[in-house]
Formats: sequence, C-alpha cells, structure tokens
Amino acid sequence: MKNINIRTFFFAGLILFSACKKTPEALINPPYAETSLDNNGGNWKTIILTNGSEISVPTPVAAGSDLYQSEITALKATMSTASDENKEAVQYWGANGVVRWHEIARELAANYNAAPNYNADGTYPVPDANNPTAYPRFPFANPPYASRAFALLAVAQYDALVTAWKAKFAHNRLAPYKNDTSVQPLLPTNDLPSYPSEDAVVAAASREVLKFLFPGEKPYLDELSTEHKNTRLWGGMNVQSDIDAGDSLGVAVAKRIIAYAKTDRMSAANKQVDYPLLKADATARGITTQWRSLEIPARPPLLPFFGNVKPWNFNDTTKVAIRPPAPPLPGSAQFEADLAEMRDLAKNRTTEQYRIAAYWADGVGSYTPPGHWNRKATEYIYEKQLNEIRSARAMALLTTAIQDAGIACWNTKYYYLSQRPTDIDASLKTATGIPNFPGYVSGHSTFSGAAAEVLAFIFPDKAAEVRNMALEASESRIYGGIHFRVDCEVGLEFGKRIGGFAVERGRNDGAQ
Amino acid sequence: MTVQQTLRLCAILLAMAPVLVKAQSPTDGLLMKKRELCNLLQYNQSNWSEYWQGTTKRSNSNLGTVTNQNVMLMSAYGITNKLNALVALPWVRTSSDVSYLQGQRGIQDLSLWLKWQPYQIKMGKNELRFQTTGGLSTPASNYFADFLPFSIGLKSKTASLRAIAHFTTGMGIYVTAQAGHTWRSHVHLNRDSYLYHNELIYSNEVPVPNWFDATVRLGILKPKFQIELWGDRSTGLTGDDIRYNDGPMLTNKMQATSVGAWAKYWVIKQLAVSVGGSSVLDGRNVGQSTGWNAGVFYLVDFNKKASN
Repeated sequence: MKNINIRTFFFAGLILFSACKKTPEALINPPYAETSLDNNGGNWKTIILTNGSEISVPTPVAAGSDLYQSEITALKATMSTASDENKEAVQYWGANGVVRWHEIARELAANYNAAPNYNADGTYPVPDANNPTAYPRFPFANPPYASRAFALLAVAQYDALVTAWKAKFAHNRLAPYKNDTSVQPLLPTNDLPSYPSEDAVVAAASREVLKFLFPGEKPYLDELSTEHKNTRLWGGMNVQSDIDAGDSLGVAVAKRIIAYAKTDRMSAANKQVDYPLLKADATARGITTQWRSLEIPARPPLLPFFGNVKPWNFNDTTKVAIRPPAPPLPGSAQFEADLAEMRDLAKNRTTEQYRIAAYWADGVGSYTPPGHWNRKATEYIYEKQLNEIRSARAMALLTTAIQDAGIACWNTKYYYLSQRPTDIDASLKTATGIPNFPGYVSGHSTFSGAAAEVLAFIFPDKAAEVRNMALEASESRIYGGIHFRVDCEVGLEFGKRIGGFAVERGRNDGAQ
Repeated sequence: MTVQQTLRLCAILLAMAPVLVKAQSPTDGLLMKKRELCNLLQYNQSNWSEYWQGTTKRSNSNLGTVTNQNVMLMSAYGITNKLNALVALPWVRTSSDVSYLQGQRGIQDLSLWLKWQPYQIKMGKNELRFQTTGGLSTPASNYFADFLPFSIGLKSKTASLRAIAHFTTGMGIYVTAQAGHTWRSHVHLNRDSYLYHNELIYSNEVPVPNWFDATVRLGILKPKFQIELWGDRSTGLTGDDIRYNDGPMLTNKMQATSVGAWAKYWVIKQLAVSVGGSSVLDGRNVGQSTGWNAGVFYLVDFNKKASN
C-alpha cells in the first residue's frame, strides 16, 4: 500500500529543519479526550439542512455479524501494517478533524490571497474558475472570499456532524475497540458510537466544499481526505463501513451546501459592468465625492456587489435596516479631527503603532482577518478540548457571523463610497497596503467586532480578551494610515451588532 | 596608506534589502599598518525601478522607483601589520516616488570584523597575500524589518567568515579574489503567521537565508590614488521566491550579480576622497539597482603621534 502522506512528510521535514534550528515549528496540537460527547447533538438545529434527520444514513450490519467480524479482521491487518509515518498522521488528524480542515482552509486562503497583476494594456485579468491554476489563479482569496469559504466549510462540517450524531445514537454501533478488546486504539477513547465515522464525515464534507472553493487543489484535497480517513483505520478507531458511511454522508451534505453556495449571489459579487450603475445610484443620493482606486493603473473595485450576497443569520431587509448612518462630511468637526489625526500619525507613527498595524494587517499572502479570527477560535477549541460536533458548531457560528459582517460591511462601503484618508490627502504615507475599496466602514473592524461577540458567547471566560483584541484590530487600521477613526469605531460597533445575530442562533440551536 | 572601500553591495543589494549593505573593506586585500587608524564617511545612493519576482524580471507601477540612501561611518585600525579591526555603522533611508507606503529611516546594523593575514609569498617585486576575515553584526536600532522593500535592514544578527587572496605587482597592479559565508539569525516579525515555501507557518519567528558572496577585483594602487573594477556574485543559500504579485519577504532567496568601479585620490597625506558606481546585471528577488557613492577618508597615524 503506497500512501502519499503529505502531512507527515511535512512534519518530518519540519522536525528535520528544527533540529538544525532553521525553520520554526508549525502549530502542532496533540489529540485529547473530549470532556463531553453531546449525545443530544443530533437534535441541534442545522443551518442549511432542515434537521439532522433529513439525510438518512443506512442501517449498519450488526456488530455480531460475520460481515462486521470480517471488518474487524481487516482492521487489525491494516493496523499491523501502519508505519511510523502513518502513526504520526493518526496523531495529527486525531487532534480534531474539524480544526485540521480549517487549518487547511486557512493555508489555502493565504496561498490564494494574491491580487491579479495588471496587463500591459492597463486592464486587470480576472481569475477563471474553469482554469484555476493559470495565473491569476482562481480564486483570489481576498477577505470577503475567505469569509465565505470559511463559512461554507464550517456549515458543511456542522450540518454533516449533526446528521452524523443523529445516526450514531440511532444505530449505536460501538467502536471497534469496544466490540473487540484486542483492537488497541492509538488515540484517546470514548463512548461515542462509531457509525458513521465523524472523521470520515468531516473529511468528505470538507474535501468537497474546499474543492468547490479551490478547484485548482482537487488532487491535494483528495490526498488529505484519503489520509484523514486512513488514520481512522491505522489508529483502530473505525471499521471500513463506519468510514464509508461517513464519507457518503459528508458528500451528501456537501452537495447541499454547494447548491446553496451556487445561489447565494456570490456569482454576481464581481459584476464590474454594473459598477457605474452603483455609482450613479450613490450620486443620485447626493454622494458626489466618491471613492476611487489609487492603484496604477486604476484597479476595478474589490467585489462591489459582495454586499448583495445572502447573509446567514439575518435577511436582506435587516441588512439594510441596520446599515450605519452616513459618515461625517468634509468640513464637519468630526471629519476634520479625524483627518488631523491621520496627518499626525503619518508624521509621528510610533514603533508600537507599526507593530499593531502589522500584527492585524492580514493582507496579501495571509489568511485574511476572517482567517485570523478563525485561528483564534481553533486555539480556544484546543484549549477547551471541545468534541468534534461542538467544535463545528463554534466554527459555524463564528464563520457565519464573520461572513455576515463582510456582507453588511461591503454593502455599507459601496452604499456610501466613502474616501479613505489617502484619497483626501495624497501626501499621507501608510504603514500597510491601501485596500482597493471604499473606507467606511472598516472591514477589519466589522469582521473583528462580529467575531469577538461570537467568541465571547461561546467562550465566556475569553470575553474580555477577545473584545480587547477586536478593539486593537480595529484601531490597527487607523495606525496603518488607511482608515479614519470613524470608519473603525462605527465598524466595530456594527460588527458587534452583526455578531449578535449569530449569538441569537447559538442561543436557540439546542446546544447551549 | 589606502584602506577602505565600502558599501559596494549597498549600491547593489540595497536594492531589495538595504540591509545587505556590506562594508567592503572586510573583503578587499588591503591592511592597515600597525597603529594606523583610517576613518571613512561615505554617502551611498542607489535606486531601482525593475526587480526580479523570483527569476522573472518586472516593474511595478505602484512601487515606482525605490531609492536607498545611506551614510556610513567606518573605521579600520591596525592592531599589528597583519591584524586589523574594523567597525561600521550605517544610517539608512528608503523611499519611493510613487508608493504610499511610508519610507523608513534609521540606524541599521553595527558591524565588527577582524582581518588577519597569516601568510604571504614574495615573488621578486610581486607579492601574493592570503587573508581571512571574521565578522559579527547586530541591529543597532529597533527598526521595522518586515516592511520590504522599505525596511532599512533585515534585522538579523550575523556572523561571517571569508577568505581573501590578493596578488600585487611592483607596479601596484593588483588582483583580489574573495569568498565569504554569512550566517544569519532568525528574526521576529510583528505578526504570528507567514507563508514560507507556500506552507503557512504559525510563528513570528522567521528564518533568514544564510549568504554566500564572492568578488573579484582588478585595480591599481599608487601612493596618490587607487582605481578598481570589480565583479560580485552574492546569493542566499536557502529561501523562497517573492510570491506572485506580492512584496518581498525576509525569507526570500536573494541573488545578485553586479559590477562596479571605484576610485580614490589622496588630497593630502591624511585625507582622501573617493567615488564609485555599481550596477546589478542579474538577480533574483532583488531590485536591479544602480548606485553611486562618494566618501572621505581620514587617516590617523598613532606611530607618528607617539614619536612626536
């Protein structure tokens, strides 16, 4: 059996490197025994699916059957062939599959976070989903794109795991090491029914959704998914039918999520041909001084219609109703004070302000601000040792809130088309790149406000910490020289309000 | 009593990473005599508008022309006729004519070298000298390294070791060949994740590639003047490439092949002036810079002071 084992290869490489102190270690978290199984998880409210029973999972063969016994025999044979590399992979994936797949998504987002370079004629090429590996590669994983990618991934994982939990406790098949005590598992054990395998569910749902989002990475995602599922055999955690049922379920749920994604209006988010209409609409509302691209040549605005994408936790009417009021106009006391602050900063930016601007910049080549908060959430999940379904719920609440923040923020940005400090005063110098879209309200602030509220809800002991972080993230854009204070302060409050809708979902999903 | 040349690379590599500015005297074939001190104040300026993204040459209309200016203070002292100590400290300023990113300025890295000539062979009026230089450097201010190409340095501590062969004729015509290896410490970013070879590293600690460089010089050295032509190849030994349409990163494998010319003239016995120029011919993850420099040398001879 030849298994291409990228992760383990990667870790082996890292260990080799760190031995000669040349490459810092990656994030490595060991597996843990979950503190709770959430036996009731199958009754939690799903997000896209009607409920955890909508997709049925076939009844498994009985544990006493010959068929099952032959699976146990096969499992033992597979376990006996597991190499040290395979066993390392067992530990890697065993630490929390939900989180691992978010790490993979973050890495993809960072790698695909590159804005297309201009053509010789001054136009900009558009990434092509049908030719994803040609430069400029598809997708350009900018913050709105990444926010949606993380949300679709998390919702697929969550809905799939609720369905899996429903089936697990309906069929109640014990884990192989409970049916046959001669099976020696390599990971912490628990009483969770093993059919369908939660890891296979997560691997399949994640794989399929990420293939949809990052179509140039299909072979890589297949390899990861295969390895993830194999670790359940190498580690003695599931028999093959647990895994096969899990994979089928994951695929079925992913199909539903992808169908949703195809109709969430993202396909029109970059409809540049309609941008003049959007500008004309703003002009008709009296907004005559409008944002413009400072790039040379002028770059088309980033996803001008992302604000029309379907939100997760509220509807379009609410989105319009909660839109912040217009920003202060030039000449007003607040505007002039904010401008004076930017001018002062450009002259006297401190080392600490540079540090904060850089820490939260999450710009090109990074996992974006949604990824920054995604990472924070996964760190808390490890710290609290949440089980898979509760991890998935946390990620779903967080990432849908963050995408909602992106949608509502973009809607606001392109409604007011407000200028950034550097549009007003071209002599201002910045500590970070100037995003190619209108200023009010700040995306970082809105993303962070929403993320902090959800994390404060899920991890109450972290409330003060995450809110302080959100404030710093918000202010980092002032220190960077790319946002007026009002953009950030209003954006942060707006984000908190948006996060509240996800919190409301969390209060009523049966898990709290 | 000639000594220093300087910052040749600065003219070159400053390109992307001003930090790669290197004092040259640690790499030439000359030595101060015992109890002689030579001080140099040199101004260097270089700029580039095209650069290599990996091995692909390109320009960037949002970056325009990037300029690096620096003022360097350097001293060399003869502990013995065969052993010199050298110290250098540059002040660097970066800017662009187009970019909105804030140009940076400040004191860069303090460097210290010991240069030793263990062996020489006399061949009539000609002489072949073998030398070795060991050096250390450390950032001398808390500058912001993760801001290429506008950082004033890479903020890595370094240790270097090099070997030099210097052949000179009785006419003063000389050829020097040198090769050196520089070890660079990890540096810490103000953020806690970055891409390295397309892997997302969850750390603020970044490996900065070690460095190899080799130079050949051809020149003439007379009591009143010195003229030199040189060629240099410098390369990071590890590292990744600048990502598609992204900025340079501390982990990048930088390489440059450059040439230059330099001349020095002794105005009076203690005072000399110099001018030089350089150009990058080929590179990787660096700017194709051209640069010039001008310096003033001031010699102090403690032997004479003592005898007076």
